[in-house]
Amino acid sequence: MQRRVQHCRQSRSLAVLPLLLAFVIAFLAPAHADEAQVRSIITKFGDAKGFPQIEAVVQELGATGDPVVARSLNALSDGVLHVRKADKQIFILEERGGLRVLDPLSGEAVADAGVARDYTKIRVNNGLRRTIRGVLGSLTLSASDPNARMRAADTLFQTPDPDAIETLDGAIAGESVPAVKMRLQQARAAAVLQSDLPDAQKEEAIALLGGMGDRAALSLLNGFAANAQGDLKSAAEGAADRINTTLAAWDMAQNVWFGLSLGSVLLLAAIGLAITFGVMGVINMAHGEMVMLGAYTTFAVQEAIRAGAPGLFDWSLLIAAPTAFLVAGAVGLAMERGIIRFLYGRPLETLLATWGVSLILQQAVRTIFGPNNREVGNPSWMSGSFELGQLAITWNRLWIVVFALAVFAVLLFVFNRTSWGLHMRAVTQNRRMAASMGIRTPWVDAFTFALGSGIAGIAGVALSQIGNVSPNLGQSYIIDSFMVVVFGGVGNLWGTLVGAMSLGVLNKFLEPYAGAVLGKILVLVLIILFIQKRPRGLFALKGRAVEA
Amino acid sequence: MNLKLTRRGVLAAALAGSISFTAGAAFAQEETIKVGVLHSLSGTMAISETTLKDTMLFLIDEQNKKGGVLGKKLEAVVVDPASDWPLFAEKARELISANKVAAVFGCWTSVSRKSVLPVFEELNNILFYPVQYEGEESQRNVFYTGAAPNQQAIPAVDYLMNEEGVERWVLAGTDYVYPQTTNKILAAYLEAKGVAKEDIMVNYTPFGHSDWQTIVTDIKNFGSTGKKTAVVSTINGDANVPFYKELANQGIKAEDIPVVAFSVGEEELAGLDTAPLVGHLTAWNYFQSVDTPENADFIAKWKAYIKNDKRVTNDPMEAHYIGFNMWVKAVEKAGTTDPDAVIDALVGVSVPNLSGGYSTMMPNHHITKPVLIGEIQADGQMETVWETPGVVVGDEWSDYLADSKDLIADWRAPMNCGNFNTASGKCGGKATN
Amino acid sequence: MITQRFLSNGFSPRIQLTLLLLVAVAILVPVLNLALPADNPFHVPTYLVALFGKYLCYALLALALDLVWGYCGILSLGHGAFFSLGGYAMGMYLMRQIGSRGVYANPILPDFMVFLNYRELPWFWLGFDHFWFAALMVMAVPGLLAFVFGWFAFRSRVTGVYLSIITQAMTYALLLAFFRNDMGFGGNNGLTDFKDIVGFPVQAQTTRATLFALSALALALGVVVTAAIVGSKYGKLMIAVRDAEPRTRFLGWRPENVKLFAFTVSAVMAGIAGALYVPQVGIINPGEFAPANSIEVVVWTAVGGRGTIIGPIIGALLVNGAKSWFTGALPELWLFALGGLFIFVTLFLPKGILGLYDQWTGHRRRIRKQEPAPLPGAEVQPAE
Repeated sequence: MQRRVQHCRQSRSLAVLPLLLAFVIAFLAPAHADEAQVRSIITKFGDAKGFPQIEAVVQELGATGDPVVARSLNALSDGVLHVRKADKQIFILEERGGLRVLDPLSGEAVADAGVARDYTKIRVNNGLRRTIRGVLGSLTLSASDPNARMRAADTLFQTPDPDAIETLDGAIAGESVPAVKMRLQQARAAAVLQSDLPDAQKEEAIALLGGMGDRAALSLLNGFAANAQGDLKSAAEGAADRINTTLAAWDMAQNVWFGLSLGSVLLLAAIGLAITFGVMGVINMAHGEMVMLGAYTTFAVQEAIRAGAPGLFDWSLLIAAPTAFLVAGAVGLAMERGIIRFLYGRPLETLLATWGVSLILQQAVRTIFGPNNREVGNPSWMSGSFELGQLAITWNRLWIVVFALAVFAVLLFVFNRTSWGLHMRAVTQNRRMAASMGIRTPWVDAFTFALGSGIAGIAGVALSQIGNVSPNLGQSYIIDSFMVVVFGGVGNLWGTLVGAMSLGVLNKFLEPYAGAVLGKILVLVLIILFIQKRPRGLFALKGRAVEA
Repeated sequence: MNLKLTRRGVLAAALAGSISFTAGAAFAQEETIKVGVLHSLSGTMAISETTLKDTMLFLIDEQNKKGGVLGKKLEAVVVDPASDWPLFAEKARELISANKVAAVFGCWTSVSRKSVLPVFEELNNILFYPVQYEGEESQRNVFYTGAAPNQQAIPAVDYLMNEEGVERWVLAGTDYVYPQTTNKILAAYLEAKGVAKEDIMVNYTPFGHSDWQTIVTDIKNFGSTGKKTAVVSTINGDANVPFYKELANQGIKAEDIPVVAFSVGEEELAGLDTAPLVGHLTAWNYFQSVDTPENADFIAKWKAYIKNDKRVTNDPMEAHYIGFNMWVKAVEKAGTTDPDAVIDALVGVSVPNLSGGYSTMMPNHHITKPVLIGEIQADGQMETVWETPGVVVGDEWSDYLADSKDLIADWRAPMNCGNFNTASGKCGGKATN
Repeated sequence: MITQRFLSNGFSPRIQLTLLLLVAVAILVPVLNLALPADNPFHVPTYLVALFGKYLCYALLALALDLVWGYCGILSLGHGAFFSLGGYAMGMYLMRQIGSRGVYANPILPDFMVFLNYRELPWFWLGFDHFWFAALMVMAVPGLLAFVFGWFAFRSRVTGVYLSIITQAMTYALLLAFFRNDMGFGGNNGLTDFKDIVGFPVQAQTTRATLFALSALALALGVVVTAAIVGSKYGKLMIAVRDAEPRTRFLGWRPENVKLFAFTVSAVMAGIAGALYVPQVGIINPGEFAPANSIEVVVWTAVGGRGTIIGPIIGALLVNGAKSWFTGALPELWLFALGGLFIFVTLFLPKGILGLYDQWTGHRRRIRKQEPAPLPGAEVQPAE
């Protein structure tokens, strides 16, 4: 064993994985070692110095083939496996609300735990985690949990080994879950390509892999085609070409999705501005700071939840959204009443005054919360991703798209279907006429501005999920927001939607060719040129209203 | 005429006022030694630099508790260059000319350092620069206490290559000089190690880039060929949070594609949920988690000073700690704060660093430091997984760039040169060409 | 002949006084700096010479903006771009002057090109080793950009807020472009480590004093040009365009040409300001293109009083003086003070400090005869 591990360290640690397959084969029918033996191996962690030695112990545990070692290996991987300094015994430490010391095999709490200082953590690094994953994978090919079997099949697929074909045949025969079976067959096909089995079998394997259509299959086929001859070579190349064709289509779809997702971020950032700037004609340079306030509100809400009711964490965003709306809305209302209402009709001066407000808000946040980034966590339903064909869609992006569209729909409803919306539109279109009809224009102004600011605050809640929460947050969105509103056309929410989405998609289609920086510059130049062509944006309001 | 008089009077008064302000500042200070602190407290860089300002105030405070230097108390002069590069030059000039500081501790970005360099040269003062940078510079008045590329980037790549078996490399960075130069050095180094060109992907993004979807997908695809892939990230501060969030969400685990970052420290991670990032790597010369008595003492005093138990320490803070102690020692050795004497006295000064060894100021004005590779932990700290056996000497002129490999710096007499060309035997860069 | 037409009206006493003062400063400050020993109470330290030299460049920039905003109603949020382009043109000349004294001692390539593996000078760097060429480019590049930009924008009648936003887009795009290292302008670090300007060492006290004097004189020249334009018949037309563009058009004038003229002249002035600024601060980098910088210029102008000639100068000197003082004395409060100033001035001093002064002294009526007073709120009607 020792020699084997030595060898393993000398070659790269990647070489560990094929080795693991040997275990899979050797322990297909897990020979349950007795508990005392496992315990004695675990104890060896106490004397292991450095990663190679720890890895040797992991291998030895894997070699027992006993699923009971999974607990200690998982603990090691999570960095909670500890050595008691006094007697070199191994325990799992849990520090959730006070220290709990658990037995590494049974998972039962030990009576006299002592304090955390009595224990030394067993160190773990990426290579070790990979080894553990492999060991666990091989242990679980026959596990009862289909997910565990799936992971095992993944491991086997990633490290094709002709020697494993027999094992795989056995596993395929016994597998009942179709998805796992499929994966096992793919793993087998990958292994077949590297074996010296007859060409007919290899052709089948090529067909199977060709059908997968993803990048992993593509690289296997390319690798195979490079060394193959004759029919097999052309078959593999043909399959690779087909995969490339489908991947190109998926790439297109991916760009569209990325573009829409970027577009909805822009939409969120800009839609509040579309109201204050578009509807009221106020150039609110502090708009970005309203977004920032929303993000900081999210932070504060999450802090409160962490301190008071950790169980509610997944709900934090739902609590933060209305809070942020109120906070940013209130600041907006104060701004309108205190400053902006004296400057109506002088849009360029509101620009200066609101710029001043933005500086003050930035520095205030810096003074209160400190200049550093603040941590805003993702609730569990916004973490991770799922696969849609060859498209990896992350949950947070998906929810932001949904959220942006929802905000848009609500605003549209408010504008078109409520009496307040009617008043707003009336004031926008003809202030004096509206006033003579008895609409209290100052209050409509104030609340419209508060609404725009509040929406910006809500945007901040969403944006805190994908970016920094720092005093500079607002600055990074303000220019983009203005571009969206101007591009889309002032005074029209639909313009903002179309503007945001088209800028997002355009950006994402340019990025692969021009790079992120040049792509952005090109978009700006295109906007400048576009404005020359249509000085009032995509969806310009017609008629006298805008002819100043 | 009346108007004329008042107006001129006002301006003359204003001018005289500012003169007397300056002069007053110059004369009133006999009993203290002034130390300039030149870190942005507002604007985009405040996020990183404010902590360093606090660190300097803390260090000066500690030194004063020990009785100051040369029997005099130290006095910090804090100014705010507001992340505005020309303002750095103006403030440096103000610190040196108007406030008569003995030395300045400051700057973060390369451009701010470049901006103040001529000022320090002209007015002959001392700058301690605490941040890792791209190298390719050695100036008589500047002491570089951060890492040069060979003290951070190259050991990190070595680690990935030897310990993790990485064969394919993504060099991702923000488009400015530090990543550009570091990546040039790394690409040359990797090619020298036999890595094929198509196994290296270089990508640059603008400052504060926030939409990482495309790039993270590209990295994922680049890493799906079966060869072990790693990302070497020189992505600058602000852009890191969205980058790591996207990585975590797209499910790129450290076991599959590890990311080693050179600009992400404890301070940056404090703004992130690090649970999905466990195992990604950073390379620095100091981690808060380093287990030495000096470090424990430093952290405890720092937390007490800043009155916040949650504050973290990071590499540039240690760089200031080392640089400040070096300066104190050199001033005591020279017996004066006169810049020329202190510059000469600084070379060869050796002070304890926080990772349990000694750092020495070398003749090239760079210091010796250990290199630590750490893995990010769920609590936002790093755990050292590898370190250099001894300390590494900062190499100002990279050996992997064609135009700088013949250059060395040695500020001792008789050489006294920041860019001595060993091939031509002359000071002043490449004499041929 | 054109000059004569422009100058025919003569200058108001206020402008004559400003000119006199600027010339006096241009002579006096360098003399006080160079001739008097450092311990003399009237000695002006070199540090202040550099500082005030910088302010004077800012003042010229503010004046340039005032020509288009105060007199022609075009609020440009991209004047920093013209300033920076002028600065870059000068910076490129200064870089070429370093010659083989760079750290790599490459006689042709600047240092940043050497370590970014450039093998030869990009074509757009050619010619910058001659001062006359650089001096030409200082004016030609911003002027040309303004001309082309204005040509399209004014012709398609992009006005008011839209124009402001696209000028902002312009400077933002340039910011991103100059940040790119592949552009060949030194990326984020920009151009720095200058040695000589027309044979004189940049850091020498005499050079600094000379540059200061030149800045003061350039500002004086800017005042002459602006006053001449504003005082001429063409200036009247500009004000007409500012106050009622459609009406001017209906009367048979071509507002787009008037605006284009003002915009281009203003950009050239801004370029010259940038060129004088660079050798005095010793660095030019893409940060100067930042939209926030351009907005600050607008603020100086507003604080001093737009639509006047000396207002922007006073505003630039005052705000920057305050900035220098605050960032040294009360660093944490600087943004509060600046932000508060913006709000205060827009709310309570719509005509700026100069307007307030005029109100106080009751000179208003008399001055109005010679100087067209600003008309707040006339540039864009409320959106109703």
